[in-house]
Amino acid sequence: MDFGFKLSPSSAVNLDRVDLTLYRKVEAKAPDIRTCIGCGSCTATCTAGPFSGMSVRQVILDIQRGRLALAAKKLDACMLCGKCTMVCPRGINTRALILAVCENYRKEDAK
Amino acid sequence: MKESVVIIGGGVAGMETAASLLSLGYAPILVEQSDHLGGHVASWHRLFPDMTPASVVVDGLKARLDGATVFLETGIQFINRLKDGYNVMLTNGVSILAKAIVLATGFNLFEARKKEEYGYGIYDRVISNRDLEAWFSSGIDDRVPDQPRSLGFVHCVGSRDVKAGNTQCSKVCCITAIKQAIEMKERFPDAEIYCFYMDLRLFGKKYEDFYINAQRDYGIHFIRGRVSEVAETIDGRVQVKAEDTLTGHPVRVTLDLLVLMSGIVCNPDIASVTKNVTLERDEDGFLRSRDNISSITESPRRGIFYAGTCTGPKTVPETLAEARSAALNVHQFLLSSAE
Amino acid sequence: MIETVRFEWFVIPFLFGMAFVLGYCLIGMIRVIHELPQCDRKRFYLSLINPKIIWKNLRDIFCNCLLHIPLWRRNRLLGYMHMSIAFGWFLLIVIGHIQVLCFIPGRIHTFYHAIFFNYFVEETAPSTLGAVLAFGMDFSLLLILSGIGLAMFKRVASLLFGMRRTTRPSLLDRVGLYSLWAIFPLRLLSEGFVAHVSGGSFLTLPLNWVFRQFLSNPEHMVPTWWAYSIALCIFMCVLPFTRYMHIPAEMLLIPVRNAGIKIRHPRKGFARLEIYSCPGCGVCIDACPMSVKKANIKDTTVYLNRQLRRGNEKRIAEISDKCLLCGKCTALCQVGCQGPELRVAQRSLRRYGINQSYAGFSVEPFKEAVRGGRKVLYFAGCMTQLTPSIRRATESVLRKAGVPYTVMDPDGRLCCGRPMMMAGRLDQARALMEKNREIILASGCDTLLLSCPICYRVFAQEYDLPGIRVVHHSVFFEEMAASGALAHLESSQRPLVYHDPCELGRGCGIYDEPRALLGRLGRVVEAEKHHAESICCGGSLGSLSLGFDKRKDMTLNALRNLTVEDPETIVTACPLCLSTFDRYADRPVKDIAEVIDEAV
Repeated sequence: MDFGFKLSPSSAVNLDRVDLTLYRKVEAKAPDIRTCIGCGSCTATCTAGPFSGMSVRQVILDIQRGRLALAAKKLDACMLCGKCTMVCPRGINTRALILAVCENYRKEDAK
Repeated sequence: MKESVVIIGGGVAGMETAASLLSLGYAPILVEQSDHLGGHVASWHRLFPDMTPASVVVDGLKARLDGATVFLETGIQFINRLKDGYNVMLTNGVSILAKAIVLATGFNLFEARKKEEYGYGIYDRVISNRDLEAWFSSGIDDRVPDQPRSLGFVHCVGSRDVKAGNTQCSKVCCITAIKQAIEMKERFPDAEIYCFYMDLRLFGKKYEDFYINAQRDYGIHFIRGRVSEVAETIDGRVQVKAEDTLTGHPVRVTLDLLVLMSGIVCNPDIASVTKNVTLERDEDGFLRSRDNISSITESPRRGIFYAGTCTGPKTVPETLAEARSAALNVHQFLLSSAE
Repeated sequence: MIETVRFEWFVIPFLFGMAFVLGYCLIGMIRVIHELPQCDRKRFYLSLINPKIIWKNLRDIFCNCLLHIPLWRRNRLLGYMHMSIAFGWFLLIVIGHIQVLCFIPGRIHTFYHAIFFNYFVEETAPSTLGAVLAFGMDFSLLLILSGIGLAMFKRVASLLFGMRRTTRPSLLDRVGLYSLWAIFPLRLLSEGFVAHVSGGSFLTLPLNWVFRQFLSNPEHMVPTWWAYSIALCIFMCVLPFTRYMHIPAEMLLIPVRNAGIKIRHPRKGFARLEIYSCPGCGVCIDACPMSVKKANIKDTTVYLNRQLRRGNEKRIAEISDKCLLCGKCTALCQVGCQGPELRVAQRSLRRYGINQSYAGFSVEPFKEAVRGGRKVLYFAGCMTQLTPSIRRATESVLRKAGVPYTVMDPDGRLCCGRPMMMAGRLDQARALMEKNREIILASGCDTLLLSCPICYRVFAQEYDLPGIRVVHHSVFFEEMAASGALAHLESSQRPLVYHDPCELGRGCGIYDEPRALLGRLGRVVEAEKHHAESICCGGSLGSLSLGFDKRKDMTLNALRNLTVEDPETIVTACPLCLSTFDRYADRPVKDIAEVIDEAV
């Protein structure tokens, strides 16, 4: 019988089951990632800019919530110019963070 | 013979301390390096939360200073520690022997010019919170256009920013931004006003009401996103780049006027005052009190007390309360040392 | 002179050591050349038959390896010390061979006769030739011994030699060092014992006289010759595993470099040659701007080379990622070891799971915006957005001079690609550069104007832009001023100091034009260290791992260096230097464009 709706997986992030392996590896290279307050200056200043969807703030959130494929997609546009590092008010080395994500990401782990 | 107490700094903290000490029967000597009393508050227009005119507060304090010795345009040359007190030498040649000193040296406003990406001093339509407050009082500032259709306020300029050299929150800029936004909306009801913030810190009495009013009655737009840079358009207006973090999209808007909320930083003149008598600084650059909970108006040194923003950002009522507390500390100290 | 004995067993250690080291070097040389890519190898072979390059090679080897002329320029004591040992030993070997040729020519093929000559001969009749050669030998020996004495002294008082810090030697380095120190006193001793038989000169004869007062039995002298030979053997056997490998390596490095070969593979070929040419002198330690903090000393180039030799991957990665890529170590290196290039090469070894394709980045809107634009295309650069005063001033000066221009990136959404290159991700950098290139070529410009030296360097050195002149704004404005296009330049006597940005100065060799420009409107004073020795501001994007808090000391040190003559204003030519200095400076910091704009 067709009830007219599908059973789709919940879009809620289940913090009990999120996979933080990539996040932990990035944390080891760029420990300041923990101090991100999500102010968005990095995104605002990003050279890759509005049309690319690149946002360091969102990448940090994505890897903290286990949404690795989304993070990889955004990072495709990063030019590594370093402006995000220059404006971060918490002094996070965002360039090192980005490189750490790029280095440790494995397609097989992405969801 | 009334006991002398030296109060360094003639802002509202110094004035209230002096007034309180007078009522306790002492002879306060107020030393102020500028040519007027009232410090920063004297240059402001209206104070939150009730929009009290700043002049009312300052004049009220001035009226209570009958009997206090006031030195204007005078600084401190040096302070020497004696066996039983201090010798304070003023730049006008007057030497004072006092058992107690109160430091009410206040704060400095962060130089907005240092955040070069915001264009203060480079673009015509970028001003600071201090400039706007002065415009409210005088009505004279070439940078403020006659009929602005859009205005922006940037929170946290020089605060919570390791690149600006100040990682602390300046406490009062959020409420000031909302206050000034409301005041601008009252003057220009058709203008669109945007507040760009990282967090909204509205902790005080009736502050949340301010926020609600700003949203409901004045239609001020609040965008959670720190401005990264400001550019100038061909017609001299300014364009602001930020990320609207709540929707996750970059946002851009062209404004007729941009106001930067400069933060509160430590007054560098303190260094010259405290050269001979070492008064420690805390990690945030402000003076370190004996204890941050139980004795915030006492310094670690015997006989020296603190009042007001020299120990950190605070509101005017908090400053006045500390000033009275410092006066009481002085009174208790002098009584106990007389025994 | 006649030959007394043909062979003694003590020469065996020496022969063994020499066979080992010569064999090792030969194999090393073949390996290095074989590791070069095909085209580079061809180039190298061609250079060997090019008379101009041959002459340059010989001259460079003589001046650098033997006379150590660059070291003399650095510090005279240091230069003398190294020259005396290197050139002295060279003379000993050459004159030794001449002695063999003159007196026992039949023995020229044995190698050891030239080294142990005095043991195997007896002077029957004194001759002028013999005396002259003996004098030459003793003089060379004295030269070396004076150098060795200085070397021992240097271990305790390096400051006298102009070096605040020197490298900490490894265990094998120490073995090599002490055996080297031992060789020549032992030689003196050995020759002193036999001088009454073989003849000698001003050093060996008096010594011999002293010895004969105490010793009667001539058999006592053989152990000293054994010791001499063994010292030689030890030195030659450990040489390939110590810093002394630089002796043969530099002799190959010079011809390969003169052939125009550059580093390609991070470990093999030319890189291997540079790594082994490092003499471990430690001049780069004081040169490095990071060495302000003791914690960074182990990350200087001399230690990178050591770790590369040991294959310590963890340390290699740490050192390579930390470097600011300022190039000062290369500028001061006596051998020309290229610190930044080596490190970028190490970085390029890393494998990434995400490799940017920039698939979503379309150049069409940019090409449309610049098509049919003016002849001067101004690329402001991404960093300039955070220092808007530079762009404003540059555009203002261009307008005042009546030069029409188009801005390539008014919205700032382009990056020149150099930061990506510095991170070692060359493929991604090339992809970005190709996109920029399309836009530039579509504009039809003939001049590409940059106000940022990071951009300028990559556009000038890595981009293929036929028919387009790439120029930095300081050079462009100086040309304008020289030709009179900038009218009414207000001049005053205010002292200004110019900071040489790493990328503009050491990176591109532009030192004089900005100073000439500034000289037109103020009095230019110099920092304590300037031109090729200028100190990096500390803000460089070259470092991948240095955090914000770790850079403050470097910036303060650079500011101290700049303000020795107490200038009124610090003038830079780089937006990154500007924002880095402005944060901590106690006096105004301005870009050269701003200073010009104010004066026009």
